[in-house]
Amino acid sequence: MSLWNSDTIKDVAESVGISNLHDDVAKNLAMDVEYRIHQVLQEALKFMRHGKRTVLATTDISHALRVLNVEPLYGYDSLRPLRFGEASVGPAQPIYYVEDEEVDFEKLINAPLPKVPREVTFTAHWLAIEGVQPAIPQNPTPSEAHRLSEGVPKGSNTTTSLAATTGNSENVAVKPLVKHILSKELQLYYDRVCSAILDEAPSSSLRSAALSSLRHDPGLHQLLPYFLQFVSEKVTQKLRDLFVLNTMLELLHALLENENLFVEPYVAAIVPPILTCLVGKRLGTEGGNHWDLRDFAASLIALVCKRFGGASHTLLSRLTRACLKHFLDPAKPLGTHYGAITGLAAIGGRESVRVLVVPNLKLYEKVLKKDDQDPEEVRRVVEAIYKAVETLEDKEVKMEEMEEGEELREKLVKKVGEVVADRVWKTGRMPLVKAIVESRVGEK
Amino acid sequence: MATQPGAGAPAGAAHTAGSPQQLNQIVMEYLSKKGYSKTEAMLRVESAHTDADGRPIIAKPEEYADVMYERAYSHLRRWIDNSLDIYKPDLKRLEYPIFIHFYLTMISGGHLTPGKTFWKNHVNEHEATHGYDLEELSRINLPVHVEENKLAKLYRTNKYRVKLPVTTKNLLLHFLEETADDGGQTLLSCLNQHIELISLPGRASLFVRGAELQEGEGIVGHTSGRGDLSENLPNVKLGMLPMDKELMKEVEEELREEDTKMKDISRSDELGVTAGKSLIDEFSKIKREEGEDSPAREAIPLPPYTIADVEDEVRQVKEYREKVQIKGGPSPALPSVCMYTFHNTNDGLHCLDFSQDAELVAGGFAESYVRVWSLKGTPLESIIPSENLPVVPKSRRLIGHSGPIYGVSFSPDRKYLLSSSEDKSTRLWSMDTYTALVVYKGHDAPVWDVSFGPFGHYFATASYEHTARLWSCDHIYPLRIFAGHLSDVDTVTWHPNSTYLFTGSADKTARMWDVNTGNSVRLFSGHSAPVTAIAASPDGKYLATAGEDSLISIWDIAGGKRLKAMRGHGKTSIYSLSFSRESNVLVSGGADMTVRCWDVLHGTGLPTQDAPEPMPGMGPVDGTAKVDLPQGGNNKRRGKDVVATPDQLAVWYTKKAPVYKVQFTRKNMVMAGSAFLP
Repeated sequence: MSLWNSDTIKDVAESVGISNLHDDVAKNLAMDVEYRIHQVLQEALKFMRHGKRTVLATTDISHALRVLNVEPLYGYDSLRPLRFGEASVGPAQPIYYVEDEEVDFEKLINAPLPKVPREVTFTAHWLAIEGVQPAIPQNPTPSEAHRLSEGVPKGSNTTTSLAATTGNSENVAVKPLVKHILSKELQLYYDRVCSAILDEAPSSSLRSAALSSLRHDPGLHQLLPYFLQFVSEKVTQKLRDLFVLNTMLELLHALLENENLFVEPYVAAIVPPILTCLVGKRLGTEGGNHWDLRDFAASLIALVCKRFGGASHTLLSRLTRACLKHFLDPAKPLGTHYGAITGLAAIGGRESVRVLVVPNLKLYEKVLKKDDQDPEEVRRVVEAIYKAVETLEDKEVKMEEMEEGEELREKLVKKVGEVVADRVWKTGRMPLVKAIVESRVGEK
Repeated sequence: MATQPGAGAPAGAAHTAGSPQQLNQIVMEYLSKKGYSKTEAMLRVESAHTDADGRPIIAKPEEYADVMYERAYSHLRRWIDNSLDIYKPDLKRLEYPIFIHFYLTMISGGHLTPGKTFWKNHVNEHEATHGYDLEELSRINLPVHVEENKLAKLYRTNKYRVKLPVTTKNLLLHFLEETADDGGQTLLSCLNQHIELISLPGRASLFVRGAELQEGEGIVGHTSGRGDLSENLPNVKLGMLPMDKELMKEVEEELREEDTKMKDISRSDELGVTAGKSLIDEFSKIKREEGEDSPAREAIPLPPYTIADVEDEVRQVKEYREKVQIKGGPSPALPSVCMYTFHNTNDGLHCLDFSQDAELVAGGFAESYVRVWSLKGTPLESIIPSENLPVVPKSRRLIGHSGPIYGVSFSPDRKYLLSSSEDKSTRLWSMDTYTALVVYKGHDAPVWDVSFGPFGHYFATASYEHTARLWSCDHIYPLRIFAGHLSDVDTVTWHPNSTYLFTGSADKTARMWDVNTGNSVRLFSGHSAPVTAIAASPDGKYLATAGEDSLISIWDIAGGKRLKAMRGHGKTSIYSLSFSRESNVLVSGGADMTVRCWDVLHGTGLPTQDAPEPMPGMGPVDGTAKVDLPQGGNNKRRGKDVVATPDQLAVWYTKKAPVYKVQFTRKNMVMAGSAFLP
C-alpha cells in the first residue's frame, strides 16, 4: 500500500529496543513516516526553486527541516557522494548502511588546505542586437539552438561548453560565421591533399594518389565545401598558371566522380571555376596551351549538365546563356570563343548547336576574318566549330539525291560563312554538309 | 449497528451451530421469552437486511463509504461523457473538485484503502491540469494528515468555485435530483458543502472554455475584509504619482540651463547640428503631474528631495531622450539584449539584480554572502579609505547574513542594496562604503524576495510564512503586513506609482495590495501552479505573472481580468519578467536557458499597432515552434511538446546558462543575467 515498508519500522523499533511492535502500529507508523518524508521533501523543493536550481541538494533538506522545526541532519553534504556499505545478516540477506567514516583529527588538521575555489566572474556579450542574435562564440549556433529546443540529454554537446568556458577573450575574430567542426584527422587529410595536388613534379605519384583518394574515399563529405572553396580560390588567384588550373579541374572531376559524395547542393559552387577555365579571357601564360584546358572544362561542364541538369531546371539555361553571351561578343579573344563554342556543344549537344551555333556562324565569319587574328588561333576556333557542327550529322539519313557540288557549297557558304564552309567541305562528308545546310532554327 | 452479529453469535453458538437464520430464530425466541420486546423489534428490523448467509444486503450504498463514492463519481462521469458536446467542457471542470472532496472525505472518515483505490482509479484523469496539487494530496495517508495538511485544509475549509452557464447548471442540478438514489444525493451534498457554482449568463459554448482552470475558479481563498473581490472591485488609482511641485520647478530650471548650454555648443560648432529635441520638451512628456487617476501625493510620504534627486531626474530625462524606441512599422525594432554570464558559481548563485543606471550588478549566493560587481569593470571605491587597501577591489563581498540569500534589490539611486535571506532577516547595505547599515527583522521564516520601491525609501519583502511586508528604510519594524495569501509569498514587486504592491504566491494566485490601507484590492487567479515571477508595466496598466506552469499571463490591473496567457517557455520555471518602457513588449528569462520576447497586446483585442511584428527567420517564432527542455524539473507531462503561442516575438538561446534576471534599462536595452552551468 505505502511506499514505506512496515518492516523497516519494525527494524528501527528493534534497534531502539522495542522488540514486539504490533503490525497495525507498524503499518500506521509507516504511513505516517511516508507522509512526513513527503512533507520535508516538499519544503525542500521550495528552497531548491528559490535557489533557482533544478537539482535538490542536501542543504535544501536541512533548511526544510529547520523551517519545520526539526533538528537538521548534520554530517551530510552534497559535495561527497554517500557511500553505502554492505553487510550480510544471513544467507543472501544483505543489509545496506551509510558508511560513517572515522576521521583522524590529527590528519585533518595537518592536511594541506584544499585549493581555493575559482572566483566567481562574469563575462558580457550581446545575446541579441535589435532582436537578431549575432553569430559569436558566446551564442549557440542555430544548430545548437535547435538541439536545445529539441531537448537533448546532458553532456552530448561538450564542444559548446568548451567554447563557453574559454570565455570571450581570444577566439572571437578568427571564427567563421557558422561554426563547423572538423575532426583533427579530416583537417590533416585536407592539408595533405591540398599540398600533394599542387606538387608540380610531372610524374608525381603523390598527386595521382591524392586524386584517386578523392575519387574513391568515402567520408569526405565534411570537407567538400572546403575543397570547393580551395578550388575557387586557386582558380581566381592563379589564372596565369595552367598547371594549377588543370589540377583544379582534375580535383573537381575527382570530386564529381566520387560516388560517396552528395554533390548536388554544391553545384552552384562548382560551376563558376569551370566556367572560368572554359571561357576565361587569358588563361595561362602567353603561348601556353590553354585549348586543352578549355576542352577539359567543356567536358566537365557536360558532366555537370548530365548529372544535375535534370534536378535543377535552370542550370542548363543559365550555362547556355553564359556561353552564348561570350560567343556572340566579338570583342572577346578567340580563346574565349573557342571555349564558348565547345561549351555550347557540350552543354546542349546537337540541339544547341543547331539552334544557337549554326545560325550565328555567318555573322561570326567577320570575327574570324579580321586581319589581326593569329592564324593558329583561327584554325583552332574553326576546328572547334567543325567539331560542334559535326554533331549535326545524321548518319541514318541516306543521301539519296545528291545535289551538284558547287551548288551545295554555295548554300553552305551562305549558311555558315566561307571559313567554316571550307573546313567542312574539305572533309567531303556530304551528309554533314547537307545536315548543316538544311538545319533551321524552327526545325524539329 | 455493528452490535448485531455480536449480539447474536454468543447466544446462538451455545445451542446449535445451525444457519444464521435459525440462530436469529432462537435469539428472537429467547428475547420474547425474556420480555426484551424493544431489542427484539430492533433485531427484526436489522436482520431484514441480511441475506440467507447473514451477509448484509447492500440496498443503501450511502451507508458504505467505499462503494458510495466510487459509484457516485462514476455516475457523474458517465453522465458527463454522454452529455452534449457543448456542455462537456464546463462540466468536466466540475469533476476535479468532486474527485478531491470524495477522496478527502473517505480518508478523513477512516476509509483508507477504498480511498486510495478510488484515488488510483481516477487520478490520471486530472493529472494534466492539476498535477501540482495532486502530487501533494497523494501523500495523505491518515485521517490526521487531512487535518494537518495545509492544502487539504484549504480544500476542506474553502468553497471551490466553478463557473457554469445557467443552462448547464440547471441541467446538472436537475439530473442530480432525479437520480438521487443512484448517487445523485452524494454528489448534491458534496456540491452544497464544498463547491460553489457560479452562474454565468448566456448559453454554453463549445469553444470558449476548456478543461483548464478558468479565471476566478478554484479556491479563491480569504479576501481580507473586502468581500468578494471578483465581483466588487475596489477602485484603484493607476496614474503616476505626481511629482513634488518644488522639485519639478528645480528640475525644469536645470533642464533649461542644459538646453541653452547645448545650443551654445552647437552654435559654436558652426555646423548647425541641432541637438535633438530640447530636454525641456522631453520632460514635459514624462513629468508626472497630478491627473484624474493619480494617487494623492500625500498618500505616500517621501523624504524631502535633495540635490541628488534633481540630478537624478535630469539624468532620467536625458536617458528618456536617448532611449531606443520599441515600436512597430515596416522595420520592427526588437530590443537588444546584453547577457552577463556568471562563471564558477557551482549553482550557488541564487539571485541577481542590476542597478537602474547599469553600473552595478549584485548577486546573492548560497554561501550567505552578497557580491557586488561593477559592470564596466571599474574598481569599487569605498569612501572609507582603509577599506580600499591594498588595492581597490573590482568586486565586493558583503558578509553578514547567516543563510542563503534569496533576493537582492538596488535602490533606484543605487546608493543602497537590500538583500533577503533564509536567516529571516533583510539587510540594507551602503554602496558608498560597501558595509551593512541596517538589519530588518520581523519575518518569522525565510524571506524569499525583496524589492525596493520605485522612489526608494520604501521596500517590500515576501516570506515563507504567507505574508508580505512593507518597510521603510528608517524603521526597523514593518509598516504594513499584507496577509491573505494561503501559501508562501514567492515574489513581490511594486506598481510604478509606489502606492500598490503586487505579490505572487505558491497558492497559485497573485494579489495587489494597497500600501496605505494594507488591504488586498485585486486577486489574480488563473495559474495552475505557483507564481514565480511578476512584473508591472511602466504605464501602470498591466501586470505580467509567470508560474511554474510555464505560462505567462497578462492582466488588466484596473479590471482585474486576465487578458491572455502566453506559452513558449519549456516545462520549467520562469525566473524573471520585465516590461519595455513603452509597456508594449515583455521579455522573460527562465530555466530553459532562453530569453524570450513577447508582444504584450497581441491577441487581447486592444490596439496593437505600436508593437513590433515577429522577426521572420529568427529561431522558432512561428506558431508551430516546438520548445522542450533538457531537464524537465518535476513534470510528468513530458512528451507533449510545448507550442509557443503566436505572440512570442523572438527567442534567444544561451549556452547552458539558465537566465536568472532580465531587466529593461531606462534606455530600453535589456540586461540579462545568467549563470553558466557546465
